[in-house]
Amino acid sequence: MTYECDVCVIGGGISAAMLSEKLTELRPGLKIIVVEAGERIFDFENRMQHRQRNLDYGENAWPRDFIEDQAAQGIISRTMAVGGSALHWGGVTNRFSDEDLTLHSRYGLATDWPIAWSDLETHYCEAERRLGVSGEPSPLAEDRMSSPYPMRAMPLSYNLRVLKGWADKSGIPFWSTPQAKNTRPYGGRSLCMRCNTCEICPTGARYSPDFTFKQLLAAKKIELHDRTLVRRLVTSADGKRVVSAQAVSRTGNGEPVEYRAKTFVVASGYCWSSHLLLLSASTQFPNGLANRSGLVGRYMTGHAFVGAQIELDATLYPGMNEQHSLISRMFFRCASSAPYVRHDLRVWESSAGRDPRLKDANGKLLVGDALMADWRSRTVRGAARVRAYYDVHPARDSALTLDAAHRNHYGDPLPVIHHVLDDATTGRAASTREHIVSVFTQLARAQNGRMFGVSEGNYLDHPSGGCRMGTDPATSVVDSHGRTHDHENLFVVGSPTLPTGGCTNATLTFVALTLRSAKQIVA
Amino acid sequence: MTRISRRGALKTLGAAAAAGRVAAWPESTAAQPAPEPVTTDALLPLADVLLPEELGVDGRRAATAAFVRWIRNYKEGADTDHGYGNTRIRSTGPSPAQKYPAQMGALDDAARARGAANFAGAPLELRRAIVEAALASAKVERLPSRPTGAHIASDLMGHYFNSSAAEDLCYRAAIGRDTCRGLPGSEARPAVLKK
Repeated sequence: MTYECDVCVIGGGISAAMLSEKLTELRPGLKIIVVEAGERIFDFENRMQHRQRNLDYGENAWPRDFIEDQAAQGIISRTMAVGGSALHWGGVTNRFSDEDLTLHSRYGLATDWPIAWSDLETHYCEAERRLGVSGEPSPLAEDRMSSPYPMRAMPLSYNLRVLKGWADKSGIPFWSTPQAKNTRPYGGRSLCMRCNTCEICPTGARYSPDFTFKQLLAAKKIELHDRTLVRRLVTSADGKRVVSAQAVSRTGNGEPVEYRAKTFVVASGYCWSSHLLLLSASTQFPNGLANRSGLVGRYMTGHAFVGAQIELDATLYPGMNEQHSLISRMFFRCASSAPYVRHDLRVWESSAGRDPRLKDANGKLLVGDALMADWRSRTVRGAARVRAYYDVHPARDSALTLDAAHRNHYGDPLPVIHHVLDDATTGRAASTREHIVSVFTQLARAQNGRMFGVSEGNYLDHPSGGCRMGTDPATSVVDSHGRTHDHENLFVVGSPTLPTGGCTNATLTFVALTLRSAKQIVA
Repeated sequence: MTRISRRGALKTLGAAAAAGRVAAWPESTAAQPAPEPVTTDALLPLADVLLPEELGVDGRRAATAAFVRWIRNYKEGADTDHGYGNTRIRSTGPSPAQKYPAQMGALDDAARARGAANFAGAPLELRRAIVEAALASAKVERLPSRPTGAHIASDLMGHYFNSSAAEDLCYRAAIGRDTCRGLPGSEARPAVLKK
């Protein structure tokens, strides 16, 4: 079966949703086909039930959201479905800062992004409007926004109000974390009902891409071919253009499917975008498509993190709104003359150390009233969870490669991701940790706080990279609009294009970049 | 859909089988649940030991009934959560309740060994001692976040004490952790829990 279209979008996650929506506005009538390997799980009406089953039994709230033999070593989510990881994301939408775009010119580190802050900022505003972000503006002058958030901030729960009062004593400014969660009906979705399970939002208040896809499909503005795995991209004889995407239907008898389009957009996320380009190797392009630089799958990045629990003199009630947090961007800035360390800083309510237990500190068994009394005694002081995502930079060898020893049942080698940090990052690892722990200590000192449970992540969160953007085709895969240097009608959008991972959740940033790409895609 | 009583369905099928009239096993009958491994009434003597006195008789009955409902609605082979950071695809195993009849039987045996007619007939203190010994024998060290089958006593306690209702009782406040509560009023301290 062959399909013809104007734009073939490969991948059905948040980038694909946002891009598709914008493309239909820029050019009404454009024929867009979104091709997603996973299934469409448009069962919002079941979400409350799924949520309850998850709470009660730990069951997956998105049945069939993975593909059994399409897995990668080194990924942090198995979700392959229409909506992607954003089906169950936490919804945090904090912006990067100008420092992230000017690391090399400002600090002599990593690389500069090929985009000015003022340009990206415009698209941040657009992303916030499309996703439906509720937030309060940062009090820091450097974080000035050209447009306000579309919705007022999520109100601070009683717990967060108490914790803000505590945190304010440290001298570090905190405010409500911006999130793609409705504080009023917005985008055809309900306002937040404080169900305390944001990753399984049963009300639709937290944005997820399935809503966008359903709206576009209802309006017949796109076609969505789910359960269709694109296995190769094929170029013209001269290699300058991609002429088709070769796919296979995962339903029925697995018939081959071909997509022919004027423009191809790979929106398959940090893992499967690079994977597809590498899989598309041919005699003409033995290293895969868009890979003249040798950098497809390279500079895989994300951010590292350190967390802790802090016990303090405060009465708190865990469970009021556990996923909402306070945020500070105070440490996004770093003087170029100072040792480099940049991180965000978040504070949540916590029940750490305040859960019911079977045995007391002496090992004595507790049941009934004794268990309840022991539990109550440990809740007199409240607890906060604190965490810093900090900026780390990838080495060239931080890579996604094809693993010939692990293949799907079509015979395609599967990806393996191995993160490697550059020497400068490794060199400052100890001082970075020391700094962050000192910030936690500064917080803890207020209100007779006691820090416990300091931990470091053993993976890079919000992974990105693999098709990094740049102006020089020798050192990048795509330009600032995601157009590959090597193939004029092939774009990559979303997280793969980030040259560095920043020090805060990256979704808003790569959605903004994706939206910025749209005009070039239809030009 | 008309709810078919399990007893009624089994009686009908039994008669039909005897008459040789059962041919294909109809889907609705095949989906009939197996007999419950434990009942609320059977668990109440255990709940009296394990759950807080301040719940009262009705509260302990309600908590126990909730545990029995959990058992009844358990599904083996369901995909488990593999959200962000969790890439293993796993399924729920056999119901933890499969082990409960034997564990309850062992409690009865322990009670008889100490001169009681059965566990339910033993004095509260004896029941407590029997449960302590059973948990030690089962090497249960922690409250499970969800029933595991390690022992019905710790599973019942884990199910209750990890619940939103138990948290409210602990804090004596209407937090309502697992309910959709709306945003209005969230800035205020939770209301004192009504008795």
